[in-house]
Amino acid sequence: MTVGTVARERIERLDRIWEERPGFTGWLTTTDHKRIGILYLATSLAFFAAGGVEALMMRSQLAEPNERVLSPGTYDQLMTMHGVTMIFLFVIPLSIGFFGNYLVPLMIGARDMAFPRMNALSYWLFLGSGILLYAGLLLGHGPDAGWFDYVPLASRKYSPGPGIDFYALGLILNGMSSTAAAANFLVTIFRLRAPGMSLNRMPLFCFAILATSFSLVFALPALTTDLVFLELSRKFGLHFFDVGRGGDPLLWQDLFWIFGHPEVYIIVLPAFGIATSVIPTFTRRRMAAFPLVALAELLVAFIGFGVWVHHMFATGLPEIALIFFAAASLIIVIPSGIQIFAWCMTMVTGKPEFRTPLLFIVGFILFFVFGGLSGIMLAAVPFDQQVTDTYFVVAHFHYVIWGAAVFPLLGGLYYWFPKVTGRMYHERLGQTTFWLVFIGTNVTFFPMHISGMLGMPRRVWTYPSALGWGPENLVSTAGAFFLTGGLVLLAANLVVSAWRGPAAGADPFGGATLEWTTSSPPPAYNFAVIPKVTSAYPAWDEEDRQTDAGRLERGELVLEQGHRTPGTTPVDGHLGEILEMPSESPWPFVLGALATIGFAFIIANHLVMAASTFGLGAVVLAAWHWKEPEEA
Amino acid sequence: MTAAATRRVARPSGWYGMLILVATESSLFGTLMATYVYLRFQTAVWPPRGVAAPSVTVPTVLALVLVASALPMAYAARAAGRGDRRLALAGIACALVVQAVYLGFQVHLYFDDVSRFSPRLDAYSSIYFTLLAVHHIHVGIGILLDVWLLARLSRRLTPYRRTAVAAVAFYWYFVAVVGLFVTATVLYPSW
Repeated sequence: MTVGTVARERIERLDRIWEERPGFTGWLTTTDHKRIGILYLATSLAFFAAGGVEALMMRSQLAEPNERVLSPGTYDQLMTMHGVTMIFLFVIPLSIGFFGNYLVPLMIGARDMAFPRMNALSYWLFLGSGILLYAGLLLGHGPDAGWFDYVPLASRKYSPGPGIDFYALGLILNGMSSTAAAANFLVTIFRLRAPGMSLNRMPLFCFAILATSFSLVFALPALTTDLVFLELSRKFGLHFFDVGRGGDPLLWQDLFWIFGHPEVYIIVLPAFGIATSVIPTFTRRRMAAFPLVALAELLVAFIGFGVWVHHMFATGLPEIALIFFAAASLIIVIPSGIQIFAWCMTMVTGKPEFRTPLLFIVGFILFFVFGGLSGIMLAAVPFDQQVTDTYFVVAHFHYVIWGAAVFPLLGGLYYWFPKVTGRMYHERLGQTTFWLVFIGTNVTFFPMHISGMLGMPRRVWTYPSALGWGPENLVSTAGAFFLTGGLVLLAANLVVSAWRGPAAGADPFGGATLEWTTSSPPPAYNFAVIPKVTSAYPAWDEEDRQTDAGRLERGELVLEQGHRTPGTTPVDGHLGEILEMPSESPWPFVLGALATIGFAFIIANHLVMAASTFGLGAVVLAAWHWKEPEEA
Repeated sequence: MTAAATRRVARPSGWYGMLILVATESSLFGTLMATYVYLRFQTAVWPPRGVAAPSVTVPTVLALVLVASALPMAYAARAAGRGDRRLALAGIACALVVQAVYLGFQVHLYFDDVSRFSPRLDAYSSIYFTLLAVHHIHVGIGILLDVWLLARLSRRLTPYRRTAVAAVAFYWYFVAVVGLFVTATVLYPSW
C-alpha cells in the first residue's frame, strides 16, 4: 500500500492516540487485546510446562511395577494438579485467552474488545486463580481428590487439610475470569464487527468462539454453585452431600458434569475454529459447507449440555436416564461428523500444501476421529460399565483433549507466530517436530487402551508386577518423554525464531481473514482504516483491499479523533455509531489482586479480612468507573 | 449506504453486557432451585420434623413489593433515555427506598429463621438458607448500584450514565422476577 502524506498524518495521529505506557508498568495497565493475549499466552504456557512436568513425574512413577519414585500422597496431588492445570490453566486460557483475545477483534475488523478493561480483569483473575491453585501445591497442601473432586472424599471428614479449599476457591476465581471473558467475546462479536460483516460473513473461528462463550456463560454457574456448596459444607458444616442428613453425593457429580461436559466442548471448539482458519489458507480454497460448519459448531455446544450423565453410567442411576444420555451422546456425533467431512472435503478438493500448521491440523483430524470412535464405544452403556474408571477412559480423553484440542492449538501457534512476532519460524524443524509429537502422542496414549482393557484402574499410584501391566506402562512412559522432546523442539523453534527468524511481512501464508491485511505485528489500533468487508474471506477480496487505501486517504472510517471503533448492528453489521473506547487503566490489575487476596483470606479462615478486602474491591470498582471514556 | 441504514443503532454495549450477566445469573439461580427440588426428592419428610413449613403471607407480599419496585426503575430508565436527569433521580430514589425496606425486612426474617433452626441441621435447612442468602445478596448489590447511580446522576447525565441507568434497571427486572421464583420455591412445603 503506497501511503500519501495525508494518510501518513492520519496514521501518525492514530499512533499517538493509541500509544500505551511503555515498560513493565505498561503490561500491568494495558487494555490492548493483543498485549493481554500475549500475557495469556506466556502464563498459560508456563502452566503447561508445570502440568507437563507433573505428567512426567507420574509416568516415571508408573514406568514399572512397584516403583517408589513418588509417595502416594504426592502422586495424588500431582494427578489432581495435572488435570486442573491442563484444563483450567492451560487449554482454556490458551485457546480463549490467547487465540480468542488476539484474533477475534482482528478477524472482525475492530480496534479492541467491547470491554477492554474487563478484558484485562479477566486476565488478572485468571493469573490469581493459577497462583492460588499452585500456592496449595507449593505449601505441601495441594488438592488431591482428582480434578473432579468427588465427595465424600473431598469432604472435610476425609480431606481435612486446606488442599480442597485451594481447589474450590481457585476454581471459583477461575470461573469469574472465564465468565467475564465470555461476556466480552459475545458483546464484541455482536457489536464490533466491521461494517458489512453480517453474521454470515463472519469467520468460522469467531463462530467457534461464539459457541464457546455461550457454553461458558450457561455452564460455569453449575460449577460455581457446586463449589460454593462444597465450601459451605467444609467451612460451615452445611449438608448438601451428606446422606445421613438428607444430602446426596451424586448431587456433586451431577452439578460437576453439567458443567464438565459442556467444558469438553469449550475446550475443543476453539480448536475446531483454528482448524477452519488454517485449512482454507493452505488448501487455497474456501471452506466447504461454510453455513453447515457454522451451525454444527453452535449445535455441538448446545447438545453438549445434554450428555453429562455419560460420565456417571456406573453410579446406579435409573436405566431410563442412562438410555436418554447414551442416545444424546451418540447424536453429538452428527455435528462433529459434519465438520470432519467439511474439513476433509476442503482438503481433497483444494490444493493442500502440507506446511507445519496444516500438518498439525491433519494430525488433529486423525486423533479426533480416533478419540471419537472410542467415545462412541464409551457411549454404549454396557461397554462403559466394563471399562469405567480404567485406563481405557484415560486413553480416550487424552486422544480427545491432547490430540484433538491441543494439536490445533500447537498448529495455531505456528500459523499465527508470524502475525504476533513479525518473524518466520523454521519450517523444516517445524515439520520434523510435528512427526515427533505425533508419534510421541500415539506411543504415550495408545497403550493405555490396552492396559485399560486389561483392567488397570485410573488414579492408582502403583501396581503389582503379577498383573502384567508393566510393558504397556513402560511404553507409555517412554512415549511421554519422547513427546516432551518434541515439545521442547517446538518451544526452541518458536523462541529462537522470535529473535532471529527472517521478517515475515504482513501475510506470509496468503491467509483469508482480516488479521492478514494489517502489518505483523499489528499496530495498537489494528487497522489504519476500518476494512471494507463484502465476504467471509475479506483478505482474498483484492478490490476491497485496494479501496481501503483510498479510504485512508479520504479519512473514511479512520476515526483518528480519539480512542474509537465503529459499533454495528448485531446481525446485519450495519454501521450504527462510533464508540468511544476506554484506554489503559491500573484498576483491573488492582481489582484482580484484591479478589485473589480476598479468596486467600477465605482459604485461611480470616473471614473478616476477606470481607474487608472485598469492600475495598467495591471502592476500587467505583474508582474504575469514575472517569468515563468520553472524558479521557 | 442510505441515511436510514446509517442511523440504525443497536442497544449500547453496556446493556448487552448486563444481558449476559443476567443470563449467567439466571443459570446460577436455576442450578440452585434445581438443587432444592433434587434434594427434596431424596427425603420423605420435607421439611424435617421439628421445623415448621415457612409462612406464606409475608414472603409473598415482600416478593410482590420487590416486583413493584421495578416500576420506578423502569420510569427512571425512560426518563434518563429522554435526558431528564431530575426525574431519573426521583425514580431511582423511590425504588431505592422500597428496595432498602424490602431488604431490611428480609434480613430480619432470615435471622429470625436462623434462630429457629440452624442451617447446619440438614439438607433442607442448607439449601433453604443458601438459596435465600444468594437472592438477598443480589438485592444488596442492586442497592449499591442504585446508590452509585444517585451519586453519578447528582451532577450530570452523560451517555455513559444513561447506559448505566438502563443496565441497572434491567438488573432489577431480573432480580424481581427471580425473587418470584425463589419465593415460590422456598414456599413449596406450604403449598
